[in-house]
Amino acid sequence: MSFVPGQPVTAVVQRIEIQKLRQGENLILGFSIGGGIDQDPGQNPFSEDKTDKGIYVTRITPGGPAEVADLRIGDKIMQVNGWDMTMVTHDQARKKLTKKKEDVVRLLITRKSLEQAVNQSKGKYPRP
Amino acid sequence: MPNDKYANMEEKLWILEDLNMMYIRQIALSLQDSDIQKKIDHEIRMRDGACKLLAACSQRDQALEAAKSLQTCSTRIMTYMSELQRMKEAQVMQNVPRRSSDAGPLDERMPCKGKVAISDLRIPLMWKDTEYFKNKGELHRCAVFCLLQLGGEIFDTDMVIVDRTLTDICFDNTIVFNEASPGFELRVELFSCCSEDDYSAGSTPRKLASKLSSSLGRSAGKKLRAAMDPGQCSLVSNGGAAPFLLPVPAVPGPKYHLLAHTTLSLSHVQDNFRTHDLTISGNEECSYWLPLYGSVCCRLVAQPRCMTQQMMSGCLKVKQCGGDPQSWTKVYAVLKGTSLFCYQQQEDVEANVEPAFTIGINKETRIRASEKDPHSKAQNICVSNQFGGEEVTHTLTTESREDTHRWMEAFWQHFYDMSQWKQCCDDLMKIELPSPRKPAPITPKQGSLYHEMVIESSNDLSSTVSDILARRMQELELRSQLGTSLTWMSVFEENNTKPAGFPRHCTSCLSGHSPRTPHRLPRSPASPQRCPRLGLLSSDASLTSDSDSHCSTSPCCHRHGWPEPSSNLSLLSSSPFGLRPRTLSLDAKLSTLRGRGYGGGTFQCPCQPPSSSLLTPLPITSRSPCSQRSTQTTLSCSSSTSSNSSSNSEGSHSPESSQGVLFSRPSPARRSLRNLRARLDPRNWLQSQV
Repeated sequence: MSFVPGQPVTAVVQRIEIQKLRQGENLILGFSIGGGIDQDPGQNPFSEDKTDKGIYVTRITPGGPAEVADLRIGDKIMQVNGWDMTMVTHDQARKKLTKKKEDVVRLLITRKSLEQAVNQSKGKYPRP
Repeated sequence: MPNDKYANMEEKLWILEDLNMMYIRQIALSLQDSDIQKKIDHEIRMRDGACKLLAACSQRDQALEAAKSLQTCSTRIMTYMSELQRMKEAQVMQNVPRRSSDAGPLDERMPCKGKVAISDLRIPLMWKDTEYFKNKGELHRCAVFCLLQLGGEIFDTDMVIVDRTLTDICFDNTIVFNEASPGFELRVELFSCCSEDDYSAGSTPRKLASKLSSSLGRSAGKKLRAAMDPGQCSLVSNGGAAPFLLPVPAVPGPKYHLLAHTTLSLSHVQDNFRTHDLTISGNEECSYWLPLYGSVCCRLVAQPRCMTQQMMSGCLKVKQCGGDPQSWTKVYAVLKGTSLFCYQQQEDVEANVEPAFTIGINKETRIRASEKDPHSKAQNICVSNQFGGEEVTHTLTTESREDTHRWMEAFWQHFYDMSQWKQCCDDLMKIELPSPRKPAPITPKQGSLYHEMVIESSNDLSSTVSDILARRMQELELRSQLGTSLTWMSVFEENNTKPAGFPRHCTSCLSGHSPRTPHRLPRSPASPQRCPRLGLLSSDASLTSDSDSHCSTSPCCHRHGWPEPSSNLSLLSSSPFGLRPRTLSLDAKLSTLRGRGYGGGTFQCPCQPPSSSLLTPLPITSRSPCSQRSTQTTLSCSSSTSSNSSSNSEGSHSPESSQGVLFSRPSPARRSLRNLRARLDPRNWLQSQV
């Protein structure tokens, strides 16, 4: 998932739709994020490329809406409801996820296993 | 075998050294100057001791200190030897019959000596930002110290370990040189040694070879003296330079290398901190390299003797010009610093009595001998000063011509000194010697600027806001039992979904229970405690068990919770409604407010259920880090008695205990102290719960 500066980022992504759960006054999604362009990327345990400053899922609440929607720990969030998450600060990312007016978030996430799956499937069908 | 060769060379070296010592002794003997000889002997003994210590010690710190002593001793030996050589040369020159053209004024005026002190040395470093924030990898450390040399005096500062968390190298020592002339040159050298290398004597053979290539004798001595201008040689890493008179024995151990140097002189003296440029030797490849910014900041002051000591004293008769010719005042005058103090009697000087009057003697003063006065035996001396355009003249006269002559001489000398010492004679510069005390306890490592950015609770916006609110609430409550004007508190609610509802709840609750000191902001989880007796009690409990410390404990759900839920229970069960609400300190209130800063701000409906539901959820939620949601929902439905509840909606999903975990979900208006600190610490990797 490394990027070349100046080139568009390409990745195999999956769309995940999470319905927020209302808990009293709050709408929660049930996961934690880490990363951001204002954070030290070297401390991200989930990223392959230690200079990647993207937003990653660091924890999933068991039984929470995120788990139900098949979000996994270690996923990198590329977009949230259309907003880009690859070049944002940690706080901006959090804000985009916790908008009170929205009760559903549609994420575009990428993970290593997706890429592998695609490669494998490519291998099975040799091109004519 | 190479080892043999080195052993041989080493032996030869020692022989040479012995010969050198004999030579030195001869010189010293001929000069009949045993002082330097003693000093050299002393330093050699110290050096031997340092070598032995270096060979024997196993600890890194000890080794570094011993190496530092070795360096200092060696430099001192060098300096003393060169001085000895110089004196010998001078003596030889004197014996040579002088040619007429060489003859200069025999009594050349010499300026007085003085004290020069340098203190508060600070050398800024310039790390690359990648270096600075790097957390992985070992800390590359260097041990550094400064060697200061003026004339024949050499002093070293304490050793400081430097790594990439420091922004400056600071030396706290104050070094005073006692015998400095106005034309002094204070050489400051920064030595550093890498703190991780294995001690290898790999470069020794080269040094031995270079040392052996010298020969003794007058010519070699002259070359040596030229090469050895005090302080120019870096003893250890100087393989290619002129050979040393007294070679350093090759001792395995840490070796210091010259990293930077500069020379300070009279023009740099000021009663203030000044920055000077450093000449850096070495480059990035060297193991002892440190990224210096290129300057050194220090305080260099000088106290010439003419300012601190009595230059001349004696009895005089003083007459102010313009007065009648017979009104001579007999005084005991002392010439010191920028004035001539005139005391009534000699004993006054010791008794520290104020002088009768003082005549200023400074650069603008004019002194001249007046024409011979027919009445007196000797000439008069006229001292004139300018005071705001007016000239004031005092006439001095002495008992005899010799006295007059001596006073004139003293004045001339004083003026000469002042002209030589320039700015040092305007005012007496203070030299502060640190009082001799036990070495200070190990101070916490100098932090970087980032880590020193402590957010004090007083500066914390949240606490200031809550402070103000707290006071306002108190005022409101005290003034009226109703406390109706709570609508403004809704401003602080993050979710404005029910603006009307909550304040109303609050007001009703507040009004219902008057003797209540703790105010609650609507968002606070403790506000629901307005529900009757239990509410009051638990609010008490919350405040009492709340303490600042709980804000600073490691991030986990317990942060919000009660450290001792049991105490809560006991309090709840034991105390009836009649419990007098305790007057709580503002601190406690603030800490509660702060503690509440995060929780999702679940505003629990205040007036609710009975004690049972209150009691039971408490222990569960406060302890289990990952309580089931069902518990939470129970809690959220029931009235929460503790701030636990609000936080539990978030808090029980306690994030892993890695650094920098925080709940950033809730009110942006009220960040907790730790929140801010965590955010501002660049080493934490933030994680947020969404």
